[in-house]
Amino acid sequence: MATEFSLSRRHLLLSGTAITAATLLGRQRLAGAQPARDGGTLIAAADTEPRNLNPAIVASNGVFYVASKVIEPLAEMDYETGLRPLLAIDWQGSDDGLTFTVQLRPNVTWHDGTPFTSADVAFSAMEVWKPLQNLGRVVFRNLESVDTPDDGTAVFNFSEPTPPQLIENAMPALTSVIPKHLYEGTDIAENPHNQDLVGTGPFRFGEHRPGEFYRLHRNEDYWAETLPYLDEIVFRVFPDRGAIAAGLETGDIQVSAFSAVPLVELERMAAIDGVSVIPGGYEGITYQITLEINHRRPELADPRVRQAIRQALDPSFIVDTVFLGYATAATGPVPQTATDFYTDDVQMYETDTDAAEALLDEAGYPRGDDGNRFSLRLRPAPWFAQTRATGDYVRQALRGIGIDVEIVSADPAGHINAVYTEHDFDLAVGSPVYRNDPAISTTILFQGGLPAGVPFANQYGYDNPQMNEIISSASETIDTAERVGLYNDFQRLASEDLPIINLVEFTFITVARDDVQNIANNPRWATSSWADTWISD
Amino acid sequence: MMRHWSIGGVIGAAVLAVLVLVAIAAPWLAPGDPLDIVGRPLLPPFTDPRFPLGTDQLGRNVFAGLVHGTRVSLLVGLAAAAAAIGVGILVGTVAGFLGGWTDEGLMRVTEAFQTIPTFLLALAMVSALGASTVNVVLAIAISSWPATARLVRAEILSLKSRDYVDAARLAGMSRLGIAFREVLPGAVQPVLALIGITVGVAILVESSLAFLGLSDPNQVSWGGMVANGRAVLRTAPYLVAIPGAAVAVAVLSVSLVGDAMGRRLLVSRER
Repeated sequence: MATEFSLSRRHLLLSGTAITAATLLGRQRLAGAQPARDGGTLIAAADTEPRNLNPAIVASNGVFYVASKVIEPLAEMDYETGLRPLLAIDWQGSDDGLTFTVQLRPNVTWHDGTPFTSADVAFSAMEVWKPLQNLGRVVFRNLESVDTPDDGTAVFNFSEPTPPQLIENAMPALTSVIPKHLYEGTDIAENPHNQDLVGTGPFRFGEHRPGEFYRLHRNEDYWAETLPYLDEIVFRVFPDRGAIAAGLETGDIQVSAFSAVPLVELERMAAIDGVSVIPGGYEGITYQITLEINHRRPELADPRVRQAIRQALDPSFIVDTVFLGYATAATGPVPQTATDFYTDDVQMYETDTDAAEALLDEAGYPRGDDGNRFSLRLRPAPWFAQTRATGDYVRQALRGIGIDVEIVSADPAGHINAVYTEHDFDLAVGSPVYRNDPAISTTILFQGGLPAGVPFANQYGYDNPQMNEIISSASETIDTAERVGLYNDFQRLASEDLPIINLVEFTFITVARDDVQNIANNPRWATSSWADTWISD
Repeated sequence: MMRHWSIGGVIGAAVLAVLVLVAIAAPWLAPGDPLDIVGRPLLPPFTDPRFPLGTDQLGRNVFAGLVHGTRVSLLVGLAAAAAAIGVGILVGTVAGFLGGWTDEGLMRVTEAFQTIPTFLLALAMVSALGASTVNVVLAIAISSWPATARLVRAEILSLKSRDYVDAARLAGMSRLGIAFREVLPGAVQPVLALIGITVGVAILVESSLAFLGLSDPNQVSWGGMVANGRAVLRTAPYLVAIPGAAVAVAVLSVSLVGDAMGRRLLVSRER
């Protein structure tokens, strides 16, 4: 339900890139013409090697990309039905929001032959998702216990009302189930199976050669009897993105996800015979580019200054130049791909430098003799070329209204420490990902009173009682319509108050050889199981 | 004097002089901030007279980047080399002249630095200190002084037992006075030959650090331009070729000049 209409919507949004839409249509025709074929090795490009590959602990796309083929969640996102059952076949939340009952798929075995039961789900929830997982710590905060009346039923008991809609939305990314018999009684965070994965998924973990590849083998005993189609998936590690494009051209690589091929190369790649550029399949993991603001700076604590900064910036410039059109201007913290929560009934801003300068004058920051009103230090997140380029753009745009900006660069660890622990920044360019429900990934960027050191959260010194109230009442509202209404209020207040500035939103691009079939067929395709992926002749 | 300058030396000196002029004249050659977005992205060279060398992915003027990058490269190269040679001379003179435990101690420290490759040490230092121009200069200087120190020490050792040194000692000069006023001027000559190499290495290390993203992000740098252009190597190779060629030309000219100075020195010593 979360993303029912997103495929068509996404294609409308990207209709500017006509080539890609045309090639996608071509592919679908081809796929429909033949029956799926067993066998073959799929070679995919990977550009990171996470140290901890356990998706139950580290719910991040870099981990999911490899691990989602081995370890499954309870359910996966689906274009038609919203949620497609995987390890769960049915689920029901109680009216008071205190229990959530899950019926599990029977006759599922772990890759080592041990039967999968509700005890595994209970163990994963209580010992891993709630205490250890980056996202689960928030969503399963009030999870008190998980009852297992029989091997096929798990009953989640919450101490406070917890919206069933939230749990449903959390299922694809937050509920990877790991085997109790291999983790119980060990130091879970340091368990060797965090690298040598054992799951229930369509592929078994083969080997990882650092700096070279991950190899996954077909699981002959997969619960969906005709799946998977592929014999093997090999993730080849390419730190250099230019090499990925070259590999796709020569056929050494068949799939590259997460925009590993630089955007500027896409037009050239689309024109190559045998290679397609596919924009869909990431709606469930929409990213935004945001300007994070440190409210501890007295200038930036003034909402007029934040509005002036917003008016000095032109999101469409970032869309056109930084993203070459593969992005959309954002209107608030919930992206337009999230059709169930998104509202456009919010405070909108035009790009207007004169109005921005007038606001700054009014706020008491006139231009000095050197033309500057004040100086700010900007830390662009170093992980995307686009976050760094946006930093360069923001620097130039703010200088236009008399705010001098100095860019400070650091490696990823240094950046996270400086912004989210030390608060050693005035502005930062961030890239939050929206995960299917504002309560999972987004309200944490606005909620006051979080301890220092929680990364990708409100470390901005922003603490608005009205905002906190909306967030806390929405987190306990069981009724779905009422809950959505509260999140609409949330978006409105965020757009008026501008604690952070949401600039643009983007999803990634897949580039693949034409013989790879069933690409981008769910909203988290790159981080889903690839059980139905196959290679045609 | 000119007849001892090889053709390479003359060419090197001429190119270097041009680079210095460009560096000095950068604000007039390409006014404004070279990091500003000024045009359509990815304009190829020689298509728009406003951007003679084209624009990069963000629409920044490549010519402006090249010109202002000359400033950064030469400034960092010269400053780092000057600092490295200064430290090297100081350590080499003190070690060579005082001898004994001082010499032992200082030379062990020098060797400790020599065991770590110049680039790795600079990389580690800039990562730890943060990416700013001053830190880059400091890191390059600290990682490249040992060669000078060893050379100066060797020269001092061979000079310090000469008669004129004994004469100075009999005249009652202090030891450090003798070292720095009497012995050092004679020992410094071969260091001149090292300048070319040291400056060249410094420019190269600065570019490499910038290529890895370890340079002041508020200043344009050739290495940074190459790193930026690498992502679009297939569609816009000029974004890598132009700053890459600039690094090559600068390093070559500096080492040609250094080489020529070394040769001249050799000739004058043999006479």
